[in-house]
Amino acid sequence: MFLKKLLFKNKTQDIAPESGEGSVLIKGDELKLLVDKVFGRSLFVRLVDSGSCNACETELAALSNPYYDLERFGIKFVASPKHADILMVTGCLTRNMLNPLLKTYENIPSPKFVITVGDCAETGGPFKDSYSVCGPVSKYLNAAVHVKGCPPEPKAVISAFLKLMDILKSGKQEKLPD
Amino acid sequence: MNKIMFNKHYTEIESDYFANSAEILKASGKYLLGIVAADERSINSKFSIRYFFGGTDGGGIEEYCVKTDESFRSISKICPSAKMYEREIYDLFGLLPEGHPDLRPLMLYPENWDSSVHPLRKDYNGVIHEMKKYGGYKFKEVLGEGIFNVLVGPVHAGIIEPGHFRFSLAGEPVLQLEIRHFWKHRGIEKLCEGKDFNEALGIISKISGDNSVNISISYLEAAESILNIEITERAKYIRVILAELERIWNYVRDVAWIFMDIGFALPAQNLFALQEELMRLNKNLSGHRFLFNSLTLGGVNFDMDSRKLKEIEDMVNKVENIIKDSEEFILSSSSVLDRLEFTGKINKKTAEELSLCGISARASELKRDTRAEFPYLIYGRLNLKPVILDGGDVFARTALRIKEIYLSKKIISDLSSNMPEGNIAVSCESKPEAFGYAVGNSETSRGNAFFYIMADDKGKIFRLKYIDPSFRIWPSIQYGVLGNIIADFPLINKSLNLSYAGNDM
Repeated sequence: MFLKKLLFKNKTQDIAPESGEGSVLIKGDELKLLVDKVFGRSLFVRLVDSGSCNACETELAALSNPYYDLERFGIKFVASPKHADILMVTGCLTRNMLNPLLKTYENIPSPKFVITVGDCAETGGPFKDSYSVCGPVSKYLNAAVHVKGCPPEPKAVISAFLKLMDILKSGKQEKLPD
Repeated sequence: MNKIMFNKHYTEIESDYFANSAEILKASGKYLLGIVAADERSINSKFSIRYFFGGTDGGGIEEYCVKTDESFRSISKICPSAKMYEREIYDLFGLLPEGHPDLRPLMLYPENWDSSVHPLRKDYNGVIHEMKKYGGYKFKEVLGEGIFNVLVGPVHAGIIEPGHFRFSLAGEPVLQLEIRHFWKHRGIEKLCEGKDFNEALGIISKISGDNSVNISISYLEAAESILNIEITERAKYIRVILAELERIWNYVRDVAWIFMDIGFALPAQNLFALQEELMRLNKNLSGHRFLFNSLTLGGVNFDMDSRKLKEIEDMVNKVENIIKDSEEFILSSSSVLDRLEFTGKINKKTAEELSLCGISARASELKRDTRAEFPYLIYGRLNLKPVILDGGDVFARTALRIKEIYLSKKIISDLSSNMPEGNIAVSCESKPEAFGYAVGNSETSRGNAFFYIMADDKGKIFRLKYIDPSFRIWPSIQYGVLGNIIADFPLINKSLNLSYAGNDM
């Protein structure tokens, strides 16, 4: 009964009735067009948390809720780096996470791109002076796009994907990382 | 005023005798809240090791202090929950817990760190050794015919924080699980030393992002009692409302994940949508989806007018209705019950021995809710009755979360209808007493968050220790999975939903 009620009551459009400039749907449709074009209809992302406070992860997980539903635009978070096109990194990069991060990066087949998410990934945030932090991520990996915010809101992450597509489409990405 | 007076229960004791005392304390129903070490050589030329015990009789917190030069007697064999604290002290201070059964490094991985580095010693010179392999870590092994190991992590499938899990199996059932954590060790305790109380709050609020408000409350309880700040009634009410809002969105998400992990995507997404609405409410109230920077030393950063209170009221009513539907669904669906019942059972005895707290303790018949045990803010006046269930399994933990959503909803409704007038913050110019210290407590959505803070003679932080509920609860999962099939592990893990960030610090 409950399932039936849910099935017929709440449609995504009802829960997320957003429209207008910058709304998830408009951004998403644009994104889908680009993902179709640049990545042949599927863009796979592998996330590594290198030492965040878990707010960034909560927001990235929120991208799958009915308000954003990122997968409808062709973007999917995958389990294995071997499947991924993009390495997404959150957190200040702790010493203990350096090796797992680099190993994950190595295991992503080329061409591959890095997106850093959140202020900690950019500067180390409030943790940058700690003895056990060896970041920021940029010391070791070149990020194609960075998403600002502490944590960035889900919409900002969608915009970052758009930005990456734009860079790739226009061929502005000067040197592809090996 | 509900601040707990700590010095009332202060006892200084010799390390060798303390083992006996610990046995007596345990026999009298007290349990270990935490062990805090500090390098106090600049004050009295000794290291101090403070043991904090709590009891369920509402008797407050008891503190036992051992002074030492380089070693102390381990109490792990009496209180198994002491094991992790003592390993931590051995790692970060280099003080040897004599008789400890397992002294493998905890946070400073021998793969990255020279074993001579003890960062929390005051004479640690900040030298960061070259990144290379200094040694190895030996995992426990299960030997025998047909035994195989499944290694998972630190980088997991999906959007999860890093941790390494090692399952030993014979066929389907799990024979042993060993967890290796602290991949995300950020060195927050050292980072806070020498900072002033306001600066440190910025770091504290990012220990574990999804429990930011409740952890900050615990910190502020300690910091404000050191600084002798008495916040206004109105600020207390607002803090409690924010704390309960945070609890509600955490629980809604936790229940959603339970549905997700047993393959019921529709009810799960229903609740994920609700979580999103709650986070948007947070943003409307405070300007931040996680309520970061809502609290400040001496009060809160924003007021709640009647419009905001109405918004909150409407939302929690909506949450209650949706959760009621979910509850009904769980109770009426045999395929849901089949997955949840008897899965991941943590016995009362195990829960007691490991000094569990929060949901995990209350689902195993332990009456542990900081809001009732060591009341803070205005919780003492609310006469809260902790919700206790006796299954100890995934079902009990899920049902408990649902019941606690109703409880939080009730608290919010009661408070928002009679908010006292007044300022939302008081000025705080007072200086702390040199080397004065205090502890703070709060109940997060995972359990008791405990702070110990000592000020130095310049009004800055001399030593800060935070004990996350996840730090206490993580070992229990190693018992919870025994005999379960490995496919149920994600479900058991989600039913506890512990923080890696808070644990690793």
